[in-house]
Amino acid sequence: MTDKTDTNPMLPYLGKLVEVKDIATEIKLFRVEMQNGGGEAFHHYKPGQFAFVSALGVGEAPFGIANIPKNGDNMLDFAINRLGSVTTELHGLGVGDMVGVRGPMGNGFPMEKFTGKNLVIIGGGIGGAPLRPVIQSVMANRGDYGHFQILWAARNPSLLVFTDEYDEWRSTPDTELHLTVDQADSTWNHGVGLITQLLERVAPSPENTITITCGPPIMIHFVNRVLVDKLGFMPEQNYVTLEARMHCGIGKCGRCNLGTKLICVDGPVFSMAEVGALLESFL
Amino acid sequence: MNYLTRQEVATWLDKLAQEQTLIAPIDVAGNILYRPVQDTRNVQWDFIRSFMSVKEVFFPPTERLMLIEKLGLEVKITETLPEEKSIIFGVRPCDARGLLTMDSLFIDTEPVDPYYARRRENTTIIGLACQSLGPSCFCTSVGGAPDDPTGMDIMLTASGGGYAAEIITEKGAQISQRFQVFDGLSEIRPHPSSARKQELKIPPKEVWPAKFNDDYWAELAERCLSCRICAYLCPSCRCFDVRDEVLPGDNGQNESERVRCWDSCNGIPYRRVAGGHNPRFMKNQRLRNRFFCKFYYFPLHYGPVSCTGCGRCIDACPVNVDITEVLEYVGRRQP
Repeated sequence: MTDKTDTNPMLPYLGKLVEVKDIATEIKLFRVEMQNGGGEAFHHYKPGQFAFVSALGVGEAPFGIANIPKNGDNMLDFAINRLGSVTTELHGLGVGDMVGVRGPMGNGFPMEKFTGKNLVIIGGGIGGAPLRPVIQSVMANRGDYGHFQILWAARNPSLLVFTDEYDEWRSTPDTELHLTVDQADSTWNHGVGLITQLLERVAPSPENTITITCGPPIMIHFVNRVLVDKLGFMPEQNYVTLEARMHCGIGKCGRCNLGTKLICVDGPVFSMAEVGALLESFL
Repeated sequence: MNYLTRQEVATWLDKLAQEQTLIAPIDVAGNILYRPVQDTRNVQWDFIRSFMSVKEVFFPPTERLMLIEKLGLEVKITETLPEEKSIIFGVRPCDARGLLTMDSLFIDTEPVDPYYARRRENTTIIGLACQSLGPSCFCTSVGGAPDDPTGMDIMLTASGGGYAAEIITEKGAQISQRFQVFDGLSEIRPHPSSARKQELKIPPKEVWPAKFNDDYWAELAERCLSCRICAYLCPSCRCFDVRDEVLPGDNGQNESERVRCWDSCNGIPYRRVAGGHNPRFMKNQRLRNRFFCKFYYFPLHYGPVSCTGCGRCIDACPVNVDITEVLEYVGRRQP
C-alpha cells in the first residue's frame, strides 16, 4: 500500500501489471490496474495526457497514456520502448508486479475543438502510443467527427505498434488506414517510403480538417512542411505532441522548457502555430 | 530596536541550539558553509558571503522524497517529509531574497512542493546585514540591498561591537522572546559601497526575445566548460533530477529511496531524451537558456527575476563568464 496524500504531488500511486504483451521489437504494452485510490485520479483524462510510470527502485519517466478511460475499470495502458534504465527495468517486469504511477498530466488533445472535423492521424513508431487514445476516442464517438484517416509508419515492419488492432480500425465507418515502412521485409505488402511520401500520396484535403502528429521531432518537422507547403494546411490545423526529458510533470523541475513554454504543463500538445511562435526550436 | 553584544547573541543562539537545530556559517576547509552546529564556538561572524548559498538548507543538493520497500510482490511507499525544526543564523540579504524567488516557484505556484514548503515553515531565519560588499556583489541592481531584511525573520546589524536586532516577522518574535533585550541604539543602517561604480540596469523581459538568435551566445559559450558550478552556487537556480537509489545494507535488495538532486541546464543531458535527441546539444544553446531563464522565462512564469546579485557565479566561473557582462550586453541598445 501507499501512504499517498493529496498534498504530495511527487508521491506515486501503485498500479499492478495485469497484462504485459510484446507488440513490436523492444516495445511492450503494459496494462496497469490502479490500486487503492489511484484509480479515481484516472477516471477522467484526455487523449494525449501522460503519466509518470515508476520502475520502483530505478526511477520514473513520463509516458503518454495509450488508452481512454473506461467507466471506472481503473486500467491504464502504456506502450513502452526499451531504451534507458527505467524502460529496461519495466521490460523485466511481469504480470503481478507493481509499478508507480503519477498523473494524469499535461493538457491533452482538445478533442472538443475537433468535433465535426475530418481528422488525419499521423504516427511514427512509438509515437503511435499517445495517438491510440485519440483513435479509440474517435471510434467510441464516431458520429462526432468527419472523415478519419490514419497514416501509420515505422522504420521497419517489426517496429509497427498496435498491429493487431488494424482490422478494427479499418472496419470503423468512414475510416482509412495507410501504412508505410522505411525498409520492407519479405512479408510486407504495403507501402515503402517515408511518412512524408505517404502523406503526399494520400493528400488529405485541408478543408475542415485537423491533423494530429506524433513521432520523432524531425518527422514532426517535415510532416508539417508537407502539410503546409504542399497540401495547403495552416499551421493552426496541425496538432502535435512533443516529448521532453522531465522529472516532475508539474512545472517545478525546469527540465522540459521549450523557450517560454513548459512541455509538462503547457503541453505536451501544441498546434504547429504555437510551436512556430516559440523562441526555441524543438528540433 | 534591541541591542545585544556579540556575547549576548552567542548566548542566545547557544540556548536556541538546545531546543532546535542551529545552522550557522562555519569554516569548512577554507570555505564558509552553513552547517548544523552544537553551539556558537566555531561560528563565523565576519565574512562577506558564504561559498554556497543557504538554498541548500531548504532545497538540499540531494534529498530523499520517499522510501520504497518491496516485500515479494507487495510494495510500500512512505513519503519522507522533513520534520526537523531549525534556526539558521547569519543569512545574508541576497540569500534571504533568493528564498523568495524559490518560494514563488515551490510555494506560490500550485501545486505546492511539500518538501520545500515544510522546510521553509520549520526554519527561522536570523539574517545578518552586510557591512561590506564583495567585488562581484550587485544586489542593489536586482532590487536587494546590504540592509534589506526581505525574507528574514530577524535581522541583525553589526554596530559598535554588538548587534542591533530587528524583529521582522511573528516567527522571529517567537524566538526573540526567550532572551532579555534592552533598548539601545537608534536605527543603524550600513551603507557599504560595491566595487561596481554604477548600478547595473537589468534589461526588462521585453528586451530578451530579440536577442535570442544573436551570435553573442556562441561567442560567450566558446569558453564555457558546461561545468555547472554557476547553477550549484546560485541561490535561485532550482532545476532538479529525480531517481531511485538502492539503499545499502542487508535489505539493500528490497529497499530503495527516491531522491531528487540538483541539476543544471548547462549539462549536456539536461534536455536529452531516451532516443538520443537533444534540442540543446550545443553549449551556446544551453548557456543562453541559463540567462533567458533567469531574466525572461522565470519572471514570466513565476514573477521575480531568478537572480539575487550575489555574484557567486562570477567568482566561481573558471572561464570568467560574467552575468553582469551578459546583462550589459542584452541591455545595450542596438546600433
